[in-house]
Parts: sequence; structure tokens; C-alpha cells
Amino acid sequence: MKLLFADIQKLWHDKIAFRLAVCYLLLFAIVALLLPLLPLPFAPQQLDLKQVFQFPFNEGDSGYHLLGTDALGRDVLVGSMYGARTALFISFPVMVLSTLLGLFLGAAAGYFGNVKLKISRAGLLLSFVALCTVLYFGFYVPLHVLSLKLGNEALTISLLVLAGIFVILFGVLLPAFKRLKLFKKTVAFPLDWVVLRLIETFTSIPTLIFILVLASFAPPSILVLAVILILTTWTNTARIARAEMLRVKQLPYFEAAASIGATEYRLILRHALPNIISPVVVTFVFGLAGILALESTLSFLGIAASGSLISWGGIMAGIRSNTSAWWLVFFPGMFLSATVLALQICSYYLLWAMQQRKR
Amino acid sequence: MLPYLLKRLLLMLPALWLVVTLVFLLSRALPATFGSEKILQQSKGYYASGSTSARESAYKDYLSRTGLQLPLFYFGISTASEPDTLYRVSPETDRKLLQQLAWQFSNWPAISVYYQSIKSLQQHLPEQEQFLVAPLFAATDKTAILAVTGKLDQIKGASDASALITNVQQSANRLYQHEAKYSFLVPAIQWHGADNQYHQWLSELMKGKLGTSYRDSKPVIEKVAEAVGTSFWLLILSMLAAFLISFNTSILLVQRQETKLQKFILSGLYFLDSIPLFVLCLLLLVLLASPDFLQLFPAYGLGYYENQNQNWLEGMMQQLPYLALPILCLTIAYIPYLTNILYRALADNSQTDYARTARAKGLSEQKVIRKHLVRNALLPVITLLSDFLPALVAGSVVIETIFAIPGIGRLLLESVQARDYPVIVTIVLLVAAFKMLSHLLADIWYGIADPRIRYNAR
Repeated sequence: MKLLFADIQKLWHDKIAFRLAVCYLLLFAIVALLLPLLPLPFAPQQLDLKQVFQFPFNEGDSGYHLLGTDALGRDVLVGSMYGARTALFISFPVMVLSTLLGLFLGAAAGYFGNVKLKISRAGLLLSFVALCTVLYFGFYVPLHVLSLKLGNEALTISLLVLAGIFVILFGVLLPAFKRLKLFKKTVAFPLDWVVLRLIETFTSIPTLIFILVLASFAPPSILVLAVILILTTWTNTARIARAEMLRVKQLPYFEAAASIGATEYRLILRHALPNIISPVVVTFVFGLAGILALESTLSFLGIAASGSLISWGGIMAGIRSNTSAWWLVFFPGMFLSATVLALQICSYYLLWAMQQRKR
Repeated sequence: MLPYLLKRLLLMLPALWLVVTLVFLLSRALPATFGSEKILQQSKGYYASGSTSARESAYKDYLSRTGLQLPLFYFGISTASEPDTLYRVSPETDRKLLQQLAWQFSNWPAISVYYQSIKSLQQHLPEQEQFLVAPLFAATDKTAILAVTGKLDQIKGASDASALITNVQQSANRLYQHEAKYSFLVPAIQWHGADNQYHQWLSELMKGKLGTSYRDSKPVIEKVAEAVGTSFWLLILSMLAAFLISFNTSILLVQRQETKLQKFILSGLYFLDSIPLFVLCLLLLVLLASPDFLQLFPAYGLGYYENQNQNWLEGMMQQLPYLALPILCLTIAYIPYLTNILYRALADNSQTDYARTARAKGLSEQKVIRKHLVRNALLPVITLLSDFLPALVAGSVVIETIFAIPGIGRLLLESVQARDYPVIVTIVLLVAAFKMLSHLLADIWYGIADPRIRYNAR
């Protein structure tokens, strides 16, 4: 972790491109966060049907449209700024969650492998039962209660029943089962195999096609889009985290820590994680760029995002009704490409610094 | 080698089955599908003469034709308060009402008596009094039902349907009295046997039938084959062009290492890589195919008509101007990625001992690279290329949408927007099979490129 900050500091001093990219990203984040407070001449969705397809740098009746207007007279500059806000608000949480998921699964798969994770037969059996009850009382019943509008009371009761079953399963039944010799015996859970197969399944279809297919199953909304993006992007982080965990596991310091009797929890959190965090950060930055591009592609295609949401892709889709309105593509496209480029430069230099350090 | 390949092919099948089964089950798990949206929710236009009942019967026909009225899988888990024959209730709005009543009161005999009573009341009342019964079909809890039946009380004396109204009130009363609250917490497992959608679909698939499209009832295979035929040339030509250009660029880069030209090309490629495909397409479209700048290419479609008696070459010559811009876009979009891979592989190999030996023998740098390095460098590239082929299909979604080319990507997008699941499932099957086949192809290619690799059936 400290090494990562040292790398960033060194890059900041040595590489102008890195400094430029970071400055751009910081500016981008500040503008996107403070946008509602900025004094803008137009509201983001303000229609002006008298001035459709205004050229950039053109003085209109209602005000100066710096970057022109679209088919409904909405200002492209204000739209692009709000598009940046949308892009940030979707891509950042999605990437954080997908990185956490990937890091968790990948690190666990790398650490435990196929043999190290031991569960008693009773635990395995009861976990299966618990999974089934979670699916029924945690998903099936609440979803139906919500869609049939049965009220909060029914919802609470269902969740209470779920909690009660959990207490019975793991508080009463598990100790009872463990007294029997048959159930006390432990078996190895092939975690590595399971995670690898999961990654294989999720990457067996190209991401864009996978997202299109998933989007057809659910009505378009931001939440669905976020879930789909998380489901399709965690595999990269998981792969990196698993490989790094396998590398760290056999380093002498790690064996030393294990030999003095550090607990598994402590081994993973204190000794392994700080050492695998740098490559994960690089994947995070690179993945952000990928999600930005993917999200605007989807909103350009009109998939998974609702019409009221302002996004770069949505503004660019306006070119279809008027091919000579080049400013609709050029300016949002430029913002998008610049952001992607800045993120890629950051991840490139971070990777480069890491490789320099290893030599 | 043959046993190895056979083993790989056999191992491919379960993964393929798993992916397609998941997609199929997910696609059918949603209740409101394409048909109900198209047939039932048609707004009453001026020319639309169909009544609600006619639409319902048309929808029923549609369901039985497509087999959508059957249960989804061999077994299902639902709450015990729902009867397992609920899916047979015909209008979908009534099914929703019954489901709500079942979850609320959990007493199926009483619910069905109540439902029959309000149904018969609705049929008996004349058109101008229908508004009195209509709220009953939306009332799902005790207070709402009581409010409506109270209103019915007022017209009871004047109407000739007084017996039916009393019937409704009595059955509603029985509903509250025999209510079994929260019994929806008890799960029940239903066994449907082989008469389910999944079984029918899978057995049809085994016979090679992929079904018909929901949208126009054409066989799916026909539609997909037509689309693949269009996309094929686009993908192959752009793939070849991208590979040739990036191959020569990477050789140039290796020859001129540590020069200004190399740095310039590398950073240019880096910049190109950061432009998303659809932005690149749109920019080229605006620059090269719009009347305001340069109108070099036709912008949309694939030509006006197709002459039946021309051979494929003539057909292609006719289509080529239309395909030129899409091919250009795809080529430019994939050059950075390919060049980067090839350049890395060549640069790694140029530091090896055998390369130094070749140079020491006095061979020219051109010869060292083309004769010695390339053969070794291509090996890891093969794997990356096999990943690259299916990604091209994803690119074709964007390209074909922007340039309005009726290919596989556009078909997928349109099917997704219309929820045309048979087509979607078929395309997923095709893409997954394509990806696995290209991995297999990569393996075979490995053996040809490096004879030291042996295929031990591990």
C-alpha cells in the first residue's frame, strides 16, 4: 500500500503525461460532483424548440450555446457535463463493487485452492439447506410481496422467518449433527475449481453480447444496468487477484507468517492483501475506462438505460436524425475519449512503475 | 491427435449445454413476454375493430401455438397457497388478481367461488353498469373489497341482478372468515413431468429445430443464416485488413526500435485505442459520408435491390461500396490491439539467443525478423487471436446498427429490443459454439506451428 503511494508520487514528479491525466481526472470528478451548484445558463433537459440544431459558437435568442444544440434545442455543453456526472455515478460504484467481488472470490480461490477449505459434512449439508431458504424467503417471497403489494408486514414476517431458520440451522442443528460421526467428517471444498468454472462461464460469451442478452430479460433501469455490469466485469479482477495470491502464497515471508501461527484471517488481510493490492488498483483504473466506454455504447444503442437519463451516448445518438450535426458526436465523443485516454494513461504508468520496481 | 480432438469436442458439449440452458430458462422466466405486449395491449385505434375478447382468444391461440402456456421446467417451487394450475387461467390480468387473492387469503376453494361469482355478475350487468364491477377486479384486500360491495348494495334493489350481488357478498364474506394468513410462507414443490417448455425445446433442439421467430414466424435458422451471410464478408475482410496492416506495422516498429518514428506510432495507436468503436464509426460517418464534408461513401444499407440471377462475385461488387466504410471502421478499431500484441511478441523474441545468432551470421534485419522471429512470435498470438474472433461479433453489433447493415449484430439488437427469445437463444448458441471452436482451432494451429507440442490426452 505504501509502495503504491510512493509509486504514484514518483510518477507525479517524473512523468508529465501522468500528471496531466491525473489533473484532468480530478477536474472531471470535481465538475461532475459540484455540477448542481454551478451557475449554468441552461437546465440539463431544457427544451428550446425555436433553436434546434444550432451550430456551435452561436448566439441564440435565449442565450449563448457554446457547443450548439440538439434536435430538441437542448444545450450540448450542459448535456455533456451532466453526461459526465452520469458516467461517474454509474461507472465508479459499479467498478468498486465488481472489484470487491472479484478481489474476494479471486483471493479466496487463490488462497484456499482445491484442498485447503475444509467443511464438515454437516456444515456442507446445512449450507445447502440455508441457500435454499435464502432463495425462498429472501428472494422469492419478498419479490412477490413487493410485486403483489401485500404490504410491509408480510415482508418483515418473511425476513423474520428466514432469520429464525438460520438460528435453528446453525445454532441448534449444526452442533447436534456434529456429534454424529458420519457428519463430523470434513471434506475439502474445491473453491478454486468452482471460481475458475464461474469465470469461464461468464467469459464464454463476449461482454457486449452477454449484456445485450441479459438486458432483454429485465425492464431497463439503472439498477439492472449496474447489476449486469458488475456481473460481467468482476472476472478480470478475480483472475488477477487469484494469480497474485498464488504468487504471494509461496513467498518466504508469507510462509514465515504462517509458521509462527498467524490465523487465516490475519494471513489474508494483513500479509497477503497489501501485497496484491497494486495490480488490483491497475485493473480497477483500466476497468473504469472499459465501463465508461461500455456504458456509453449501451446508451447509444438505447439498451438498458431509460430515456430521461442524460448520457454521452444518448446525446451522440441524436446524430441519427441529422447526419450533418457533427457537433453532437464530436464534443461528447471527445469528452468520452479524453476520459478513457486519461484513465488508460494512469493505469499504463502504474503498471510500468510496478514492473520497474520488480527489476 | 484425432482422439485428443474428439475428447475436446465432447468436453465442449456440457459447457455449451449449460450456457444455452441458462439463457433459455432466464428468457422464459419472465411472465410478460413479447406476445402479451403485442396482442393484448394494442391500444384501441380508429381502425382497430378487435374487441377485448377477440384479442384474448388470439392470445390464447398464440400461446398454444408457441407452447408458452406450459410450465417452464420439470419441477417448480412456489408457495403452497398458490394452486399449481394457476398458469392455465386465461386472461393474464385475471391471473394476477387470483394470485394476489391467493397470497392474501390462502384459501383456494373460497377464492375460486368468489372469482366465479364476480365473473358471472360482470357478464350479467349491462354495459352502462360495468363500472360498478370493474373495481372488484382490482380489489385485493378486505377493506377494498368491502368498499366495492358496499357500493353494490345501493343498486341491489333497483337491479335485476340482486341474487348475483348477494352471491358476491356472501362469497366475499366466506373469503375473510376462512382466511389463512401468512400461509404463503410454506413452500410447495410441484412436479410437472415431461410436458414442459424446457423439455419440448430441448427435444426440438436435438432434432435440429431451433423454432420460429416470435416476430414474423419465420424459421430462426433461416433468419440467422441470412444475417450471418451478410456479416461474414464484413468480418472476414476487416479481419484480414487489420491483420495485414498491424503485422507490417509491428515489423516496422521492431526494426526502428528506440526511434522517434516508433514512439510516434506507438502513442498514436494508444490514442486510437482510447476512442470507443461507436464514436469512431460516427466520426468517420460524419467525415466521409455526409454531404457537409466529404461524401465518398454511401452511408446506410446494402444497396437498393438484389438481382436474382447474378453470381456471388457480382453481388459482392455491388455491395462493396456500401461495405467499404464499415470495413474501414472495424479495421481501424482493431489495429491498435493487434499491433500491440504482435509488437510485444516480436520485441520479446528479438532479444533471444537465436536472434543474435542469426544476426551474427550476417543475415539482414529484414530476414532475421521475417524468417526467424515471426514463426516463434506467432505462437502466443494464436491464443489471443482465438479470443479476438468472437469479439469481432460484438463489434459487429455496433457497426451494423450504425450503418444499417442487416447482419448478425443488428439481428441480435433488434431481437433484444423485441424480446424475440428464440432468435436470441440461437445467436447465443452460435456465438458460444463459435468461441469454443476457435479455441479448438487455436489448439490445432499450435500443433502445426510448433511440432514439439504433443497432444497427450490428459
